[in-house]
Amino acid sequence: MRTIATLLLSAGLVASASQTLAGPKEDLEKFRAYFEQKFPGMQLDDFGNGAYALDASKRLQWESMEEFPPYEEFVDKGREIWEKPFKNGKSFADCFGKDPSKVRVRYPHWDSKTQQVVTLEGDINKCLKENGEKPFKWKKGPIAWLSAFFGYEARGQKINVKIPDDPKALEAYEKGKHFFYAKRGQLNMACADCHVKYAGHFIRGNLLSPALGHVTHFPVYRAKWAKKSKNGDGLGTLHRRYGGCNKQVRARPFKAQSEEYRDLEFFHQYMSNGLTINAPGYRE
Amino acid sequence: MKKSIVAVGMALLIAGCNATTPEKPMSLKEQYEAALARTKAAVEKAASVDGEWRDIRWKKSKKRYLPKAIEAAKAGDYEKALKLLKIAEFQAEMGYKQAIAEKNAGPQLYGM
Repeated sequence: MRTIATLLLSAGLVASASQTLAGPKEDLEKFRAYFEQKFPGMQLDDFGNGAYALDASKRLQWESMEEFPPYEEFVDKGREIWEKPFKNGKSFADCFGKDPSKVRVRYPHWDSKTQQVVTLEGDINKCLKENGEKPFKWKKGPIAWLSAFFGYEARGQKINVKIPDDPKALEAYEKGKHFFYAKRGQLNMACADCHVKYAGHFIRGNLLSPALGHVTHFPVYRAKWAKKSKNGDGLGTLHRRYGGCNKQVRARPFKAQSEEYRDLEFFHQYMSNGLTINAPGYRE
Repeated sequence: MKKSIVAVGMALLIAGCNATTPEKPMSLKEQYEAALARTKAAVEKAASVDGEWRDIRWKKSKKRYLPKAIEAAKAGDYEKALKLLKIAEFQAEMGYKQAIAEKNAGPQLYGM
């Protein structure tokens, strides 16, 4: 009896140790396998279409919206921002390189000098500040337009986030992972509750999208956000959405571009590695 | 003997009086001040583990129990203030407990 108990205990310890030691690569494999099993037969890239990949009638509505996409004029505004020189004569090309289609795929990444996760929006504002310009607000407006322009230019390329073998980078990744799986707020819900466990289920009239593929279409144009704005601008950044989700479960949201959300983005984007960028996307 | 009986009687009387003398009740203002200090401490404790809930004091929340309690007290409505503080303190305590309980949250809980 004692031997059996010892064996079971050892097995448990080994199991929990292997969970603790699971690195990003193993996490990614398990994450993908989970969704492939949950939605058998679904093509990997179709996960980037979120809930529209799961419901035929919603997909039809979405495809008709995409024929004359409401985000187009804001992508054009993003292009104008990209092309407009700063007061010092320089431009965003001096920060990001001349080819705008090569920008989106470099983010987010780990900066070994500053020991933190760097996001596209973070670098947009860094570029502005370094050139004596006023930084954009973080969640919508010009920052989302320019980010959407970068996303649009990068369409067809694959998400390719790298987690370097640096203890601090791994720590940031683990923090983001923990954030994703930890229940929070008065409703006691984790990101993973809606977008892993109940992905494909309805929450009132909304079909919950799978977390796999979430980030491919950000910045996103949401009809809900468009209704709230004066000029029909429904574009918002990934961190705007994070804040909205946290608010919905009645947790106090963190600030856009806070360390918490940057780490979450690091994990969240890495989980969609290999999926095709289709930003900006339209969502209800 | 008589003296002893009187002494014992007096002692019992004094003890009885001590036991039944009611403490001066706290005024509503004093109760509010104590509750406010407790609540603030509980909120900071929850925030220290990233466990703060939306409606305690976040500026965009419609409820904002803690700031509204302070406003009510300023207007002299201590009863309302105490009611709001009770909710805020409870939510802060729950937020802290939740964050601690979720310390080891991870994909293993979702069958991965």
